Amino acid sequence: MYELINVDKKFPGVHALKSVDFKIGRGEIVGLVGENGAGKSTLMKVIYGAHQPDGGDITIDGTKVRFQNPRQAMDHGIGMVFQEQSLITNLTVMENIFLGFEQQFVSYGVINWKAMAEAARKQLAKVKLDIDPGTTTSKLSFAQRQLVELAKVLTLEERIDGDLVILLDEPTSVLAKEEVELLFSLVRELTKRASFIFVSHRMDEVLDLSDRIYVMKDGEVVDVVAHDDANVDAIQHKMVGRDVDKEYYREQKQKPYQVEAKPLVAFQNVTATGKYSDISFDLRPGEVLCLVGTEGSGREAILRTIFGLETPSAGAVSIKGVPVSKFNAQVGVANGVGYIPRERKVEGIVAGMSVYENMTLSQMGNYANSGVLRIGEEKTLARRWIDRLAIKTPDVYKDCGGLSGGNQQKVVLAKWRSAGSDIILLDHPTRGLDIGAKEDVYDMVREMSDDGVGIILVADTLEEAIGLSHTIIVLKDGNAQKRFDCSPGDKPSLYDLVHHMI
Amino acid sequence: MSFERIKPHLPWITLLVLVLVVGAADSNFLRPSNLISMAADIVPLFIMALGMTFAIYIGGIDLSAQSVANMTTVVATIALPTFGIGAALICILAGVVLGGVSGFVTTRLFVPSFISTLAVGGIAFSAAQYMSGQRALFMDASLRDSTFGWMTGSLAGIPSELFIAAALVLGAWFLQSRTTFGRALKAVGAGEPAAVASGLNVNRIKIMAFALSGGLAAIAGLLFAVKLSGGSPTLANGFLLPAIVAVLVGGTPLTGGVGGVINTLIGTLIVAVIRSSMLYFEVDATQQQMVFGLILIVAIALTIDRTKLRVVK
Amino acid sequence: MSNVLTRDVLIKWAPLIVLLVLVLFFTAMEPRFFSLRNFARIGISSAPALMVAIGVTFIIIMGSIDLSMEGTVSVCAVVFAFAFIALGGTLASWAWLAIPLALLVGGAIGLVNGLVHVLLKIPSFMASLAMGFVGTGFALLLTGGDRIRVEDDLFRSLLTERWFGFPIMCYVALLFLLIAWFIQSRTTLGRNFYAVGGGEELAHASGLNVNRVRIMGFALAGVFYAVGALLAVGRIGIAETATGSNFMFVSITSVVVGGTALWGGIGGVWNTLIGVLIVNVINNGMVVIGLPGYVQDGVLGILVIAAVVLSTDRKSVTFVK
Repeated sequence: MYELINVDKKFPGVHALKSVDFKIGRGEIVGLVGENGAGKSTLMKVIYGAHQPDGGDITIDGTKVRFQNPRQAMDHGIGMVFQEQSLITNLTVMENIFLGFEQQFVSYGVINWKAMAEAARKQLAKVKLDIDPGTTTSKLSFAQRQLVELAKVLTLEERIDGDLVILLDEPTSVLAKEEVELLFSLVRELTKRASFIFVSHRMDEVLDLSDRIYVMKDGEVVDVVAHDDANVDAIQHKMVGRDVDKEYYREQKQKPYQVEAKPLVAFQNVTATGKYSDISFDLRPGEVLCLVGTEGSGREAILRTIFGLETPSAGAVSIKGVPVSKFNAQVGVANGVGYIPRERKVEGIVAGMSVYENMTLSQMGNYANSGVLRIGEEKTLARRWIDRLAIKTPDVYKDCGGLSGGNQQKVVLAKWRSAGSDIILLDHPTRGLDIGAKEDVYDMVREMSDDGVGIILVADTLEEAIGLSHTIIVLKDGNAQKRFDCSPGDKPSLYDLVHHMI
Repeated sequence: MSFERIKPHLPWITLLVLVLVVGAADSNFLRPSNLISMAADIVPLFIMALGMTFAIYIGGIDLSAQSVANMTTVVATIALPTFGIGAALICILAGVVLGGVSGFVTTRLFVPSFISTLAVGGIAFSAAQYMSGQRALFMDASLRDSTFGWMTGSLAGIPSELFIAAALVLGAWFLQSRTTFGRALKAVGAGEPAAVASGLNVNRIKIMAFALSGGLAAIAGLLFAVKLSGGSPTLANGFLLPAIVAVLVGGTPLTGGVGGVINTLIGTLIVAVIRSSMLYFEVDATQQQMVFGLILIVAIALTIDRTKLRVVK
Repeated sequence: MSNVLTRDVLIKWAPLIVLLVLVLFFTAMEPRFFSLRNFARIGISSAPALMVAIGVTFIIIMGSIDLSMEGTVSVCAVVFAFAFIALGGTLASWAWLAIPLALLVGGAIGLVNGLVHVLLKIPSFMASLAMGFVGTGFALLLTGGDRIRVEDDLFRSLLTERWFGFPIMCYVALLFLLIAWFIQSRTTLGRNFYAVGGGEELAHASGLNVNRVRIMGFALAGVFYAVGALLAVGRIGIAETATGSNFMFVSITSVVVGGTALWGGIGGVWNTLIGVLIVNVINNGMVVIGLPGYVQDGVLGILVIAAVVLSTDRKSVTFVK
C-alpha cells in the first residue's frame, strides 16, 4: 500500500539515497538494517516527511503523494516513534499525547481535562499501559515513555481514515529484555491496525520481529530478505560487502610499534557509569589503537576520559606512567594529550580566529612572556606548519572558519603536533572530508606513528579502522568485546568486526 | 553577502556620516573645542562601556555596571578623607571583587549572567545605600583638588579625562590583542567548545572578564564622583543603557567573539554625537532614552550572529 | 528515581516552607509583625508586584525572560492617569474607560516586545530590556518629568476601602491571580507555555506554532503589567515615570524565589504568589524589626542567586553565558 519508487536524495557532497525502492503492505512489519551512514535515517526522514526526495515517487495505494513536512505525512497516516525521547517531560502524559491537537477538547477557550484524560486512557489502553493520564511524564520509566510515544502515534488511528504506517527508530535501545518482548508482542498485535517499519542495530531483534528485511549500504537497498530466509551472517555480509583497499589506507607504510616501550596511556579496569565499564588497555609509542563500536558504545567517552573531559567512576588511568588523579582538559594538555574532536567546526577550530591564533591556542604559554604574546614567533610557527602539512591558506591571517574541512583538520593537527603532543586522540578525523583530504590524514597518521606518537582512533568507517590500526578493540554497549591485532597482511575482516559489534 | 562584507566597517562609517550630517547642519559642531568638550563629557560612560565590552565579548552581559559605578561614587567620597589617593585603589578593588563575584556565580553556579549581574547589582546598590545613609554626599573641595585634581584638570588645552581615557583604551587594547588573556577571551567568545577542547581554563577567563568589567565600571564611578565632587547611590543612573548601546553600536555583537575595545571607542563616539545632535535639533532631552532604546534594538538586530543561537529564547 | 522525587518534592515545597519560617522568625523577633494590620500592609505592597510577577511568570515558564516591565508599567500608569483625568477624573464618569485603555496599551507593548524578540530573533532578555528602556523613555516623554495625581475617591477606594481588614486592591489582585491560574491550567495557550518551556524543538515537531505562543505570551504579560500599573497608581495616587522603577528586580526575584525555574517548564502562578509574599515579608519584616530598608536589594540579590542555584539541575547545563 505504501511505496517508494526510485527515490533519490542528494545532499551537498553526498548521494544519500540512490534510486531506492521500498514497499510495505497492510499489516506488515518491515525491518531496515545497515551500517551507520548507509542511508537508513535519510530514508526514514523521507518516509515521514522531514526530507523531500529529489527524484522518484511516493505512492499510497497507488496515488502519488508529496509531503512538505511531518504534519502532512501524519495526515496521511504516517507516524514516527523517535529514538530519542520526544516527549516533553514536564507535561502530563495526556498533554503529550495530544500536543498540537488539543483543540478537540476545547470549548469556549477552556480545556476539558476530563475529556482529554478519557481519550488519553483510550490511547494508553491500545498499548496496554495502565497509568493515570495525568501523571507527569518525567515520573515514567523509559519503557513506559516508549509506550506513551507509541500511544501518541496511534492517535492517528482516530484522525485518519486510511491505513497507518508507523516508523520505529531504535525503539529498544533503552529497554530491558522483558520490556523489549512486551513491545514486540504489542507491535505484532497492532498489525491489525497498522504497518510498521522497524529500525534497529540489534540484528537478532530485527530478525525476530520483521516479516521482511531491507538491507541498505551506501544509500542503496542491496537486498530484501524474507523472514524465513533470513540469517544473521548473510545479512551482515551484505551490509558490509567490501574489501579493504590496502593502498588507500597506507597499509604498506604501517610499521610495528614499540611493544616493549613504557605505555603512554594505561587503562586498568576503568569505568565511567553509564558510558563504558571495565575497560583495560595500554597504548604504546607508535601504536594506532582503534576503538570500534556503534554510536553510543562508549568509544567517544573513552577518548574524552583520556583528554580529561570525562571523570571515570572507577579504575585507574595513567599517562606516561603517572596516575591521573584530576580530570580536566588543562591536565590533559599538560600531559601531552592532543584531542582532535569530531565536531571540527565547533570543538576543533575557533571560527573567527586566524590560522596562527588557532595553532597556538593550546600552547599560548610557550609564546608569551608573562602573559604578553610573542606574535612574531607565533606566525613563524604557523608558517612552518603550513609548509610542513601543505595547508592551503593564503596567509597566516586567514580566518580558520573560511578554510576547507581538510585544511581545518590540518590546522587542528598542527596545533597539537607543534606543541609536542605525543598522545593524539582522533575522533572521526576524516568525517566530511573529500578523498584527497582523507588520504592526507592517513599519511599524517602514519607519519605521527613513525615519530613514536601514540594514537587512539575512532574511525569513520570500519575499513578505515582496519586499514589504519595496529590494534582494534571492539566495544558493544560500553563493554570491550574483543581485541584484534592488525599487523599488515593479517588484518581482521569487516565481518569479524561486525560480528562482535552487533 | 555584501552586507556581511560591509558589516565590520559599519560603525566607523556610521560615525563619519553622523559627524558630517551634524557638522553640515551646525557649523559650530565641528569646532575643535566643541569636539573636545563633547569627548571629555563622555569619558565616564566610555570607561563603563569599555568594561562592558569584555563581558559582551565573551558572550555575556554585565547589568551591574551602573550599580557598581553608583557604589563607587559613594565609596570614593567616604574613603577620600581617610585614604587620600588610596581611595581610588579601594574603589577599583571593590569593583573588581563585585565583578569577580558575578563571574563566579555565572560560571561556577550556572546562573545566566544577566541574572547574576542583576543580583550583584542589587547587592552593590544596597551597599551604596547603606554607606551613604541614603543621602547625597559631598567631597571636601580642597581635598578633592589636592588628591584627584589631576583627573579634572587639563594639559595643553586638552582635558585630562581624555588622557585617562586614552591610557585605559590603550591598556585594554593591549590586553585584548597582545596578551594570552586577550587571545583566550577571543577564543571563548568565538568558540567556547573549541576553547575547552584546547585545554583553556574557560571558567577562569570568564571570571576575569567580569572582574575587568567591574573594575572599569568602578573607575567610571570614581571619575564621576570626582567630576561632580560627591557621591550618591543614584549618581550614575541612566548610564547602563548608553553603555550597552555604545558597545553594540560599535560592532561587538551580543553573541561575542568579534569587535572589541576599539569598536567600543567608536560606539561611544557615535553615542556622543547622537546626544549632541539631539541637543542641536532640539529634540527634547526626555526623548533620549527612548531614542537610545530604539537604537539598541536596531544595533542588536544588525550585529547579532544568529548561527550561534540554536534556539532564540 | 527516588532521588529525583525528593528533589522534585523539595523544589515544590521549599518556597512555602521558607515563607512560613520567615513569618515565624519575624513574629518571634517582633510580635507586632503578626497582626492583621501588618498583614494588610504586606498585602498592599504585594498586590501590584504580584500582578507584574504573574506576567513575567508566563514568560519564564516558556524559558524566556522579560525585562521590560518597568517601562511598560510606567507607560500604562501614565496613559491611564492622563486618560482618566481627560475623561472626567472619576470612575463614576466615562473615565472608567481609562482602565481598559491601560490594559490595551499594556497588551500592545507586550505584543511589540514579542514581535521584536521573535521576528528579529533577538534573545528575549535583550529585546525586552531595550523595550523597557523605550517604555520608560516614552513615559518620560508623555509626562515631561511631571507627576500626575489621580485623586478620585472612588478609584482611591482601591486602597481606602477595606473588607475584613484588607483593602480592595488585595481582592482585585486575588481575582487576577485566579484568572491567571485559569489561563495557566485551563487554556491551550497556558498549557502551550509549558510545552515550549519543556522542549521547544519537540513542541515544534508536534506541530505547535511556537512563535505564535511566544508572541501571545509577551502580550499577555503586558496586560498583567498594566493591571500592576493600575494597582500601583491606586496605591499611591500618583502616576509618573518612576511608577515602574524597581519592579524588574522585585518581580523576577519573586518568580525565581517562588520556584519557577529560569530554564522554563516548571512552576506557575501559585509559586509566584509565594515568591511575592516571601519578598514582601522580608521587606516588611526587616522594617518591623528595625533594620534599615536599604538592605533589601542586597538580600534579594543573594536570594535570587540561591534560588537559581537550587533550581538548576547542573548536570543538564553545559554552557552558561
